[in-house]
Amino acid sequence: MAQAAPVIQPDLELSYEMPEQVTLLSDAWRRLKRNRLALVGAVIIGLLFVTALISIVWTPYPTWLQAVGPTYQPPSAAHPLGLDQAGRDILSRIMGGALITVQVGVGSAIIVSLIGIPLGLLAGFYRGKVDTVISFFINIWYGIPDLLVALILVFVLSDALHLIPRGVLVIVIAFSLTRWMDVARLVRGQALALREREFVEAARMSGARDFALLARHILPNALGPIIVQATFAIPAAVLFEAFLSFLGLGLPSPTPSWGAMAADGYHGMDFAPHIVLAPTIALSLTLMAFNWVGDGLRDAFDPRMRR
Amino acid sequence: MNAVDGVSFEVDRGEIVGIVGESGSGKTMTALSLLRLIPEPGKITSGRILYGEKDVAQMTDEEIREFRGNEIAMIFQDPMTSLNPVLRIGFQVEEAMIAHQRFTNKQAKERVVPMLQRVRIPAAKDRVRDYPHQFSGGMRQRAMIAMGVSNEPSLLIADEPTTALDVTVQASIIELIRDLSRELRAAVILITHNMALVASLCNRVIVMYAGRVVEEGPTRAIFKNPQHPYTWSLLRSMPRVDEKEKERLISIKGLPPDLGKMPPGCKFHPRCKFRVDRCFTEEPPLAEVDPGQQARCWVLMKNIPDPEAQAKT
Repeated sequence: MAQAAPVIQPDLELSYEMPEQVTLLSDAWRRLKRNRLALVGAVIIGLLFVTALISIVWTPYPTWLQAVGPTYQPPSAAHPLGLDQAGRDILSRIMGGALITVQVGVGSAIIVSLIGIPLGLLAGFYRGKVDTVISFFINIWYGIPDLLVALILVFVLSDALHLIPRGVLVIVIAFSLTRWMDVARLVRGQALALREREFVEAARMSGARDFALLARHILPNALGPIIVQATFAIPAAVLFEAFLSFLGLGLPSPTPSWGAMAADGYHGMDFAPHIVLAPTIALSLTLMAFNWVGDGLRDAFDPRMRR
Repeated sequence: MNAVDGVSFEVDRGEIVGIVGESGSGKTMTALSLLRLIPEPGKITSGRILYGEKDVAQMTDEEIREFRGNEIAMIFQDPMTSLNPVLRIGFQVEEAMIAHQRFTNKQAKERVVPMLQRVRIPAAKDRVRDYPHQFSGGMRQRAMIAMGVSNEPSLLIADEPTTALDVTVQASIIELIRDLSRELRAAVILITHNMALVASLCNRVIVMYAGRVVEEGPTRAIFKNPQHPYTWSLLRSMPRVDEKEKERLISIKGLPPDLGKMPPGCKFHPRCKFRVDRCFTEEPPLAEVDPGQQARCWVLMKNIPDPEAQAKT
C-alpha cells in the first residue's frame, strides 16, 4: 500500500494565540498559579493565617492552662497532639503559636519595608551625597553581627530600659532594626535603574514634583521585587523569634511561642518526642512555605519569565 | 567640553521650527537645555534662555518645575518607554494636569476623556482605563501628546516624535501635531533628521552640526538654496521624487567630530568637499547670506560654480 504523502500541518493554535491583556499583578498571579510548590506553600500559609485567626477566639483549651491531663501524655483522641511537661494541650498551644508567628512575621515584613523603602528610594533617586550616607549605613549594618545586636536590643529595650514590654513588639523592632538593609539595598538599585527610564524623565518634563516621581512612577514599578523581598523577611523573622524563645531570651512563658515550646520539650525528648516534634514541624512547614512562595513570587514577577 | 556652543535662535508663537542634524549634533541637548533638564553631569555654563521676559536659565527650582509642562511641553521619541507601564493611561493624563494648579482635581478628571478625544484616540471613553501595553505605538504617542498639550503650553518640543513609529502612523501623528499647534496657537520645535518631515511641516529650519548652528533660515530658502556645504550635502544625500536626471546620491564621508577632539577652525572642514585654507584654522561666524537666512561658512555654496561635479571627486 502506498504511503500517504506527509501532510504539513500548520500549528494553527499557535498562530491564533493572542497576547493576553493583563496588568502586572494579575500577570504575576497567573504565573504563580502554574508553580506547584508555590501553591502548596500558599495553602500552608493560608492554613497558618486561618489557624491564627481562630486561635484569637477559640482554642480547645486555654493555651496557658496546665494539668488538663497527665504530663507528657502522648497524642490521644482528646488531645490530638498530646500534652506537654506541664500538662498543657499542645494543639491549643500550636494554634496560639500560629498567631505569634503571624504577628512576628507580618509585623517584621511591614517594619522592614517601612524603613528600607524610603531609605532605598532616597539613595537611589537623589544619588550623590544622600546615597553616599545611606549606602555607608547599609554597609556598616551588614558588617555588624545582626543576631548579637538584636539580642542586645531586646535586652536593652525591654529589660534594662523597660521601654517596651518583652513581647512580640520588641522582637519585631529588634529584628527590623538589624535587617532593614536587604530591602533598602534592593529599592536603591531599583530606584537607580528606574530614575533613568524615559517615563520618569517624561513625568519630570511635565513638571512633576520629586515626591510624585517617587510615589507614582518609581515605587509602583519596583513593587514586584519589594514584595518578594518582604516575603523572604517573614521566615527570617519567624526563625529569629523561635531562636530567641528557644534560648529563653524571647517571649516570656507561658506565651505559646513555637521556639519556647521546643525548648520546653527538649529535656523529655527521649521518652516524649511529641512535645518537641509538634512545634518544630509547624515551624519547618511555615518556613518552607514562605520560602516556596517567595521563590514563586520572584519567578512570577520576573519579566524574563513572561510568556 | 561643550556639547552645544553658541546656539542662538528664536521661535515665535504659532511658528513651527525644525532642528535637523546628524545623531550627536546637539539637537536634543539644545531642546533639553530649554527645560533645564540636561542629564548629569552636564550643565548650562553660560547663556540665556528667554521665554517672553523670563530667563529660564535663572529660574529657581520651583519656578522651573512650574514652568515645565505648563509653558513648555515635550513629546518624546519612543512612546513605548515614555509612559509608565503600571499606571492607567487616563490617570497619567490626569496627573500631568494636576502637577500644575491650572485645573482643580475635579476639572482635571473631567478633561481626561476630551483630551484623549482631541488627540483622536478612538473610543476614548473606554480606553482611559487601559494600561500603556494595551495601546499601540501610535496611540501611545497620541496619549503622550495629550499629556503634553493638556496644560495648553505655548511651546511644544517634539523630539523625533515619529522615529519609533510605523510609517503609516507617522503622517497622522504629524498632522495631529500641526493641527494642535494651530488650535493652541503654540509654537513647535521639531527635532528630527527627517528632511521630508521638515519640508512638509516647518516654517523655519535650523541645521546643527557638532553642537553649532551651521545654517538657519526659512524652509523654502534652505531647501532651494542651501548655503552651508553640510546642508547642501544633507539634501543631496536623499533621493528625491522630482529628480530629473539619474543623479547619484552624494554621501558625506566620515563621522561627526568627537566632543573631546574637536577640530580647529570650521568643525565641518574634515568632511567638507569645498574647504579652503582658512577653514582649517578659523571658525566662521554665523553670518547673514540672504535676508532671513544665515550660514556659518567661509565659502558658501553660491560661490561654487559646479558643486555636483566637485562633490563627486
